[in-house]
Amino acid sequence: MIFGSWVCLLAPLVGFLAILLAGTRITRRQAGILSTTSVFVGFAGALVAFFDAWGREPEERGELTTAWTWLKAGELEVGLELLIDPLSLVMMLVVTGIGGLIVLYSNGYMAGDDEERRYFAYMAFFVFSMLLLVMGGNLLLLLVGWGLVGLASYLLIGFHHERASAVAAAKKAFVINALGDALLALAFFLAIAKVGSLDFGVVFEAAESGELSDTVATLVALGLLGGAVAKSAQIPFHTWLPDAMEGPTPVSALIHAATMVTAGVYLICRTHPVFEAAPEVQHLAAILGLITLLVAGVVALVQWDIKRVIAYSTMSQIGYMFVGAGVGAYGFAMFHLVTHAFFKALLFLAAGLVIHHLSGEQDIRKMGGLRSSMRFTHLTFLVGTLALVGIPPLSGFWSKDAILASTLAEGGVLGWVLYVGGLVGALLTGLYSLRLYLLVFHGEPAAQAEAPHAEHAHHGEGPRSMTIPVAVLAVGSAVAGLLGIPGVWHPFEDWLHDVAEPLVEPSTRQEWLTSGLAVTLGVLGALLAWRAFKAGRELVPDGAVRTTLEHKLWFDELYDTVFSRPGQAIAVTLRDRFETPVVQGGLDEVAEGTLRGAAATSAAQSGLLRTYALAITISVAVLALVFLVVR
Amino acid sequence: MMGPGIPWYLAISAMLFSIGVAGVLLRRSPLIVLLSLELMLNAANLAFVGFSRLFGEMDGQVFALSVMAVAAAEVCVGLGLIVAMARRNLALDVDAFTELRG
Amino acid sequence: MLTTLLIFVPLVGALLVWIAPLSRESTAGLALLVALAEVGLWLGSTRNFDFGSDVQQYSASQEWFEELGISYAVGLYGFQFWLVGLTVVVGACAIGYGAWANRDRARAYFGLMLFLIGSLVGVFASQDLILFYVFFEAMLIPIYVLVGVWGGPGRMKATLTFVLYTMAGSLLMLAAIIAFGISQGTFLLAEIGTSSNDLIFLGFMAAFAVKAPLLPFHGWLRAAYTEAPPEVAALLSGVVSKAAVFGLVWIVLPHFPQPVDDWRNVVLALAAATLVYGSVLAFRQPDVRGVIAYSSMGQMGLIVLGIFAVNDLGLDGAVLHSINHGLVSAGLFFVAGMIETRTGTGVFSELGGMAKGRPILATLVMVLGIFALAVPGSANFAGEFAILAGVFEHGWGYAAVGAGAIVLAALYALRLISAVLHERRGRSVREEPDDLVGSELILVVPLVAILAVLSAWPAGISERSFPADAPAAFIGAQSGEGLGTP
Repeated sequence: MIFGSWVCLLAPLVGFLAILLAGTRITRRQAGILSTTSVFVGFAGALVAFFDAWGREPEERGELTTAWTWLKAGELEVGLELLIDPLSLVMMLVVTGIGGLIVLYSNGYMAGDDEERRYFAYMAFFVFSMLLLVMGGNLLLLLVGWGLVGLASYLLIGFHHERASAVAAAKKAFVINALGDALLALAFFLAIAKVGSLDFGVVFEAAESGELSDTVATLVALGLLGGAVAKSAQIPFHTWLPDAMEGPTPVSALIHAATMVTAGVYLICRTHPVFEAAPEVQHLAAILGLITLLVAGVVALVQWDIKRVIAYSTMSQIGYMFVGAGVGAYGFAMFHLVTHAFFKALLFLAAGLVIHHLSGEQDIRKMGGLRSSMRFTHLTFLVGTLALVGIPPLSGFWSKDAILASTLAEGGVLGWVLYVGGLVGALLTGLYSLRLYLLVFHGEPAAQAEAPHAEHAHHGEGPRSMTIPVAVLAVGSAVAGLLGIPGVWHPFEDWLHDVAEPLVEPSTRQEWLTSGLAVTLGVLGALLAWRAFKAGRELVPDGAVRTTLEHKLWFDELYDTVFSRPGQAIAVTLRDRFETPVVQGGLDEVAEGTLRGAAATSAAQSGLLRTYALAITISVAVLALVFLVVR
Repeated sequence: MMGPGIPWYLAISAMLFSIGVAGVLLRRSPLIVLLSLELMLNAANLAFVGFSRLFGEMDGQVFALSVMAVAAAEVCVGLGLIVAMARRNLALDVDAFTELRG
Repeated sequence: MLTTLLIFVPLVGALLVWIAPLSRESTAGLALLVALAEVGLWLGSTRNFDFGSDVQQYSASQEWFEELGISYAVGLYGFQFWLVGLTVVVGACAIGYGAWANRDRARAYFGLMLFLIGSLVGVFASQDLILFYVFFEAMLIPIYVLVGVWGGPGRMKATLTFVLYTMAGSLLMLAAIIAFGISQGTFLLAEIGTSSNDLIFLGFMAAFAVKAPLLPFHGWLRAAYTEAPPEVAALLSGVVSKAAVFGLVWIVLPHFPQPVDDWRNVVLALAAATLVYGSVLAFRQPDVRGVIAYSSMGQMGLIVLGIFAVNDLGLDGAVLHSINHGLVSAGLFFVAGMIETRTGTGVFSELGGMAKGRPILATLVMVLGIFALAVPGSANFAGEFAILAGVFEHGWGYAAVGAGAIVLAALYALRLISAVLHERRGRSVREEPDDLVGSELILVVPLVAILAVLSAWPAGISERSFPADAPAAFIGAQSGEGLGTP
């Protein structure tokens, strides 16, 4: 298990370094092959580790392995250690498996781009960083992976750096992520001060045994939550995700759907003892998830960019995961993470096929009727959409409804609010998903769609490197959910049981009841979208509501006014009013004064012999007088 | 001892010295400046000899002889410089050489 | 003996370079040879250096002025050893840069550079207060000339300001040194006891606050870093500022325990303010050098924050971060110089789009920028994290400010990267791709390589900075009778 894990972690790193150091000595295709291979080798390693763990008794499935001491300062000792347990294995498989498929897809999608090598290097680097995050054996190493994926995200979003919008989006993403990093760091400082270590075991034990006071546990959990919210683009740190769609589509699929943004969910599940010691914060996580779920759902209703709709959908679905983690249904939250990874990546990649086919068009108003000209894409996109809405027996059905059932099982005011909100969210999901599907694939084809790019006359909908991953993901989206059929079998939940014991266990009755309600609402939403589409009108009529939604609830403007502008103003004011005049000016005075004094003094050295002689004479006379007087 | 008392020697010495100083400060020809310098040196010599006579010790007179030797050496150098200046047709004016300024 | 060699090899080299009537290329070659020999010497001494030992390594002591109690005493502990290493490595790269830039009046130039390196090593190795002061002042002479002759358009004012400012602080320190030494009867750091005299403490603090610099003594910084030739700026920000680190850790902390305690909050507040002020200003500078300069100021504030935490985490973090920051800052200044050579300017409004056709330059700028903002996983992050974790003990506010500075650092570093590399090609950027060539790479890549290794293994330095890796106890034990007695 250890060996497989190290292979898993290091293969992408080796791939990255190889591409980086080879530079222009390898062709672009070779870079792509190298990157893809390294990720799939990582997947193989993950599989090896997984099967090894599967064969063991549940208690023996967790192992800690240390490479060397990373940082040692006085009493704090942080090793370069990996924790391999069921939770990290799930993430490893998802990251390398789906990651590998997406990198494979990129070979086709990015073909012809000038800077392919850079792209593939960055992708391998991202996979490595994400693996470090999920395999990190202590909090500091997790933070390292955390920061590095933020870096990879910056590099990939800003890949097309000639575009000012891409550069700006990349910076925004990085800065908000850095804010999350800072909050995590603060939580860690507190942990070090109270517990003296950042090892999972030590911190979790302290949390469980009550060694940490309520305040401390709450503060630490808040810091953790802050980081999770920033990374997973939940409200209020969500503004970077829609802008991140500036990156190439495979990037959106990998980083902003399947893996990086789900890191927040992973974090909460991993550090659940701390959250359980601070239940108010855990409930806060659920509430933030709920708010995001609903807000993102309605904003998705007015988006015209195909990728932005899917992005808001991602935000919304992660909200579900936060709700799940917030009520303690860790297994279900992770289950939804896995199924979501499948169908969301599928949706993005299929959207990529559409964009590719239409030579870069992303506005859904300019699409339509692609059902007939892109049959394969149509089918797979439909599978993804239905999985997202939660139609049985596709995967989303099983996982999303499990979370909802857990909120029902939680009960109390919180539980009911979450339950109702979650059901409303199911309705919204149906609405925006079907709207997107119908506008792209049904109706009259828009003018541009009539004349597809000449290349595609040969390839059909896309080269095999692109269609195979999409097909695999479609299959996965369809069947992955079968890992958790309530009342029948739930291997996924069992797998994670020892690592993250759920706080609530919904009964089979609750689960089937919830499923019924959720499906009904989802179908209802789909039908409403169908009706609106047929009537040729938008779901949200023009007016104040629509404008607000189009401006994403004015969050960007709010942050700009409260943080951005004042911050810049402060910097400029400090520079112009304080630094330059006071400090520099004052010093200029000194320097100039010295120079003037020097010039004045040097006037005494006139060069005239007689002046000097006079000076000597006078001095002697004065001295003689002084001697006489003093004597 | 016979002869004028020490105050007379010192008075003459002082007068000679002042005339020498005035010469150094006021005259522009290097030759005259050197001459005035000699005057100052000799004034000092007179004082030395006078005191030597007063105390009956030979120290002053011996020192006066050394002063004369030094004066001779210094005049050689000075006159040599003046001759070099004249050879180069430079103006023999002390105020003209101001390159070593601050 | 070895320490003496480390100090005097560059000094003797300087003398040789000054006298030998060689051509420009040969002089450069000779200087480079001396610098590399110095690096080799330092590397060789790593093998026999016992990092965990209580005893000073490679020490030498010789009475100098017996009646006054002044000696020539040098010796190294872990953290001093690393600072010397930083000096010789950055120094060698700086001399390489000077060779590459083909500086005129080569003999004077290289002689001064070697002299600077020698005096810097002397600062870090000295164990006698007067000797320390001698080397501290000796540093200034070459800097004054180097900036004043080979610098940019505003160099006279810049160098004059720098020297006057530093001298003002140093003179106060001299007064403090003399008072301290006379009252204790000796100037040897190992034998001098403690003092609770606030004035003497402040005298030392004055010099180090100017050197670091700390707000509000930073007025010399901007002009000096901008007008100096790039390699001198690299030495200034990378190494010279660390003289303050050495002074604080080795002179102030052990010998003034009471004043340190009394003034701790003032200094911590000042350091935190420096960190924020430097980062905020860096964010709105219009040129490359300005950003690096203010960023440097901020990072030094962070390091002083760690030092005055006076605990294991803070001190280890401060030493580690000093090394990291020295390497990153030097690298950034070298790259800035290379950009200036190509475009004739460092102003952002004239730059942009340099990533096109220049993959190596882009990679280097990106890598250095990312290290500068202390991305988690980098050595800079390890140092920053340790410092903030250490200072947390004295008040969560300082750590919160530090965490905020993390975000600020992201802002200015990314702005620097984008303004140079991204978006449209700037006015001064040429169309033909003039990427970095081998002779330039060799100056910067070693620094980056060291940073990469340190990022994978920060414990390499942090574990080996103080005996028994217990810095707080060790520093505490320095006062009074000397070593070993807590």
